[in-house]
Amino acid sequence: MSEPVLKIDHLTMQFGGVVAVDDFSMVVNPGELVALIGPNGAGKTTAFNAVTGVYTPTAGTITLLGHNITGLRPDQITGMGIARTFQNIRLFSSMTVFENVLTAHHLRRTSNLLSATFRLNGAEERQMRKDTEELLRRVDLWDLKDEMATSLPYGKQRLLEIVRALATKPKLLLLDEPAAGMNPQETDELGDFIRRIRDEFDLSIFIIEHHMNLVMRISDRIYVIEFGRQIAEGIPEEIQNNQAVIDAYLGGGDEL
Amino acid sequence: MKKKKWDSASILSALIVCLLYAAVFVAEQMMPPTSMLFTVLKKGATYALVAVSMNLLNGFTGIFSLGQAGFMLIGAYTYAIFTVPVAQRAIVYQYYNGGVVQFTLPVFVAMILAGLVAALFALLIGLPVLRLKSDYLAIATLGFAEIIRTVFQWDKLGPVTNGSNMLRLFPTFNDFNIRNAQGEVTLYLSTLVPLLIAGVCIALIVLLINSTFGRALRAIKDDEIAAEAMGIRLSSHKQMAFCVSSFFAGIGGAMLAMYQTTVQAKSFTTAMTYEILLIVVIGGIGSVTGSCLSSFLFVACSEWWLRFLDQKQVVGGFEVPLLRNGFRLVVFSIIIMIVVLFFRQGIMGTRELPDLLRRRPTRANGGEAK
Amino acid sequence: MFNTVFPYLLSGISVGGQYALIAIGYTMVYGILRLINFAHGDVFMVAGIIMVYMSASGVPLLVCIPLVLLLTSVIGFAIERIAYKPLRTAPRMSVMISAIGVSYTLQNLVLYITGGLNQIYPTIPFISGSVTIGPATTKVVTVVTPVLTILLVFALVMLINHTKVGMAMRAVSKDFETSQLMGININRVISTTFVIGSFLAGVGSMLYFTNYTTVIQTSGAMPGLKAFVAAVFGGIGSIPGAVVGAFIIGIAENIIKGLDIILFKAGVIAKPMGLATFSDAFTFALLIVILAVKPTGLFGEKTIDKV
Repeated sequence: MSEPVLKIDHLTMQFGGVVAVDDFSMVVNPGELVALIGPNGAGKTTAFNAVTGVYTPTAGTITLLGHNITGLRPDQITGMGIARTFQNIRLFSSMTVFENVLTAHHLRRTSNLLSATFRLNGAEERQMRKDTEELLRRVDLWDLKDEMATSLPYGKQRLLEIVRALATKPKLLLLDEPAAGMNPQETDELGDFIRRIRDEFDLSIFIIEHHMNLVMRISDRIYVIEFGRQIAEGIPEEIQNNQAVIDAYLGGGDEL
Repeated sequence: MKKKKWDSASILSALIVCLLYAAVFVAEQMMPPTSMLFTVLKKGATYALVAVSMNLLNGFTGIFSLGQAGFMLIGAYTYAIFTVPVAQRAIVYQYYNGGVVQFTLPVFVAMILAGLVAALFALLIGLPVLRLKSDYLAIATLGFAEIIRTVFQWDKLGPVTNGSNMLRLFPTFNDFNIRNAQGEVTLYLSTLVPLLIAGVCIALIVLLINSTFGRALRAIKDDEIAAEAMGIRLSSHKQMAFCVSSFFAGIGGAMLAMYQTTVQAKSFTTAMTYEILLIVVIGGIGSVTGSCLSSFLFVACSEWWLRFLDQKQVVGGFEVPLLRNGFRLVVFSIIIMIVVLFFRQGIMGTRELPDLLRRRPTRANGGEAK
Repeated sequence: MFNTVFPYLLSGISVGGQYALIAIGYTMVYGILRLINFAHGDVFMVAGIIMVYMSASGVPLLVCIPLVLLLTSVIGFAIERIAYKPLRTAPRMSVMISAIGVSYTLQNLVLYITGGLNQIYPTIPFISGSVTIGPATTKVVTVVTPVLTILLVFALVMLINHTKVGMAMRAVSKDFETSQLMGININRVISTTFVIGSFLAGVGSMLYFTNYTTVIQTSGAMPGLKAFVAAVFGGIGSIPGAVVGAFIIGIAENIIKGLDIILFKAGVIAKPMGLATFSDAFTFALLIVILAVKPTGLFGEKTIDKV
């Protein structure tokens, strides 16, 4: 059996007296599409932030392809192959669609400040622009390349954020509620899109989502947490019939 | 990539700039060297460079630094200390037995050194300061500038800095004029050269802004968290921007020393930083063209066009009220407050010269980051 | 040894009290608006100038004092309404720039009115006299300042803890948006904050300028910056923090002013080192160290950014 892409062991996140994530463990295997669900405030985004280095875990380890990445900075973690999107879209607002994706190529640069300023990195810059163009064409955003990123319709902004994350050439993609605010049709398209990039870009995907239809349709495996603790794990059918999960959602008054 | 960047608007812009330089060259040979125009151009060039260097931080990286006067001071002193002719040192350093530095560097070497020393200070101060949030960073850099101002006046450093006395007799802009054996000026370059120096430095900053590093800086300005998630290391990129900005502020300081012909630490006040910040704001935060335009406008108004506000004016036997010393600055302040409150985009917003020449500007929405 | 240090300590406590009165204005405004009010030091200076001109025009001092405090409060109120309120939803940098603009405007306005000359501060009879305490002879104001400061801070803390507007202030500084949703009149709370801050700066200016006797357009810059450092040192947003920070900075700065003499008399150094030069620099060095080591200051609360 091959090594898991992401392995979280006994992760605990504590803020003052509040335990947001409590002894949580999970794995994402190569090529797998894993979802993390749970009522609002269950600690899903906190777990994401611990994986991507925004927060330093109070306890526990996080391993990416056998490398311990616990406590590394977000940029280091991105460099090692984890890319993410955000719950509340965070595109670069002063940039065009093209520039947003181009900027994500910065971390794979070999040029330094001087060579870039004096334009001695022409080949690399051309390559970056070529890769950006190719990426945008593949996801049908090329026609919008000169639009300001934040002037795109909402659904396209979500899409662009995913594309921007792809441009960092990740092995694992973390999507934080990508369908939030989308209508049913957009959500359907998004589901297809996520599966497509998983296959085409040879990715593993770890997703937080509230749209249960979407989660049940695309996930290979699902983890459920409540109050920072795992209450269930399994394939979609198992989760749908899990009493603890049903209680958590009905008790929490959340949608299902 | 060149294909994309060198569209007709860019070429036209470059042409305009070249024409302006040619015009200055011709004007300098034709007009009396004491003309106000040249004073404005010299000081304007200096301020333009410093304003653009500040804009690199405030407008392009989103670091709100108020240390510009401190870095200018370092640059001005470095330049002056290393260029006072050895023969004149006994006069300049009269209270310190001619000082400890007993050699002279060529003007351009000293200018680059001025930038490097300023950048070095930026490197040191950047380590603790750049981790701070916007407003704390502003006050910490302001504090740094105050410390520098005090330290350079310390009596014990007198053999190097001349203590609280002024440094003088170093080469100035007038020394760029070419003279014949009789000491008559054969070619006037005292305005063109400072403009060229500022032009080259600003061009370098523009090249940086348009490189992959410049994009990374803009990403940091737009959204630090997203930038970090894209693999951009915040600390090193901010440090880099801070050092580059200080480097050019240091060169700007050296130019200010040349313009003023004397240097004294006490003149590099917080008010100087505020003035440069306000120039950046008027020009448009995030526009190099705007910073340049507004520098020349600001200097022209304060040294030339609005001078009359500071003197009594009698129009047809009637004395205009309010006009006396200081009124110019009051008018200035009011203009600035109007810009700050009602025209937050400034003259240019985030547009540049080529954007103005394009029929459909691509990046001209000038939207402020959230 | 004690006889040498005592006078510096005494004036340190006094200056500390004056800084405290300014620092409260910074810390309260920051607590509510998350804005460094760069113009606050200049409001303090303007209070001094108003006093000079008012007493010069023959208004009796006993009338001057309340009138100056009233006018200073009005100026604080007006600055907020004109320069900050329109930018409530603007990026933080814009508001800070506006504050710097106001500072620049006030200084230039005073430069224009005074012609850039030092103005002699009027003698306020009771506090200008001399008093001898132990080995030190000093102005009465030196002794009055810390007492008055403590009294005013006590009154302020009572106001914040036990009145309705105080409760609103605490709520707004905890959570701006939610307070608004809960029906608190944000604008009134903010205005009150500026009025209180300016009022205290007015009191501070009377004490400070009685001590230093002259006012010029740049007089507010340094005390303002130092008071801000005091506020950061104490933990910005915390009133007791600002007061403690101000006293520490006032004392430290005055001890440094006398360090040459103190060390000389103690036999540590043989000749003066000119260390007094660093009394201002020290404050800022302290600021940079605090920000690097403990950005939340002595009494500040840690906040976590939400991603």
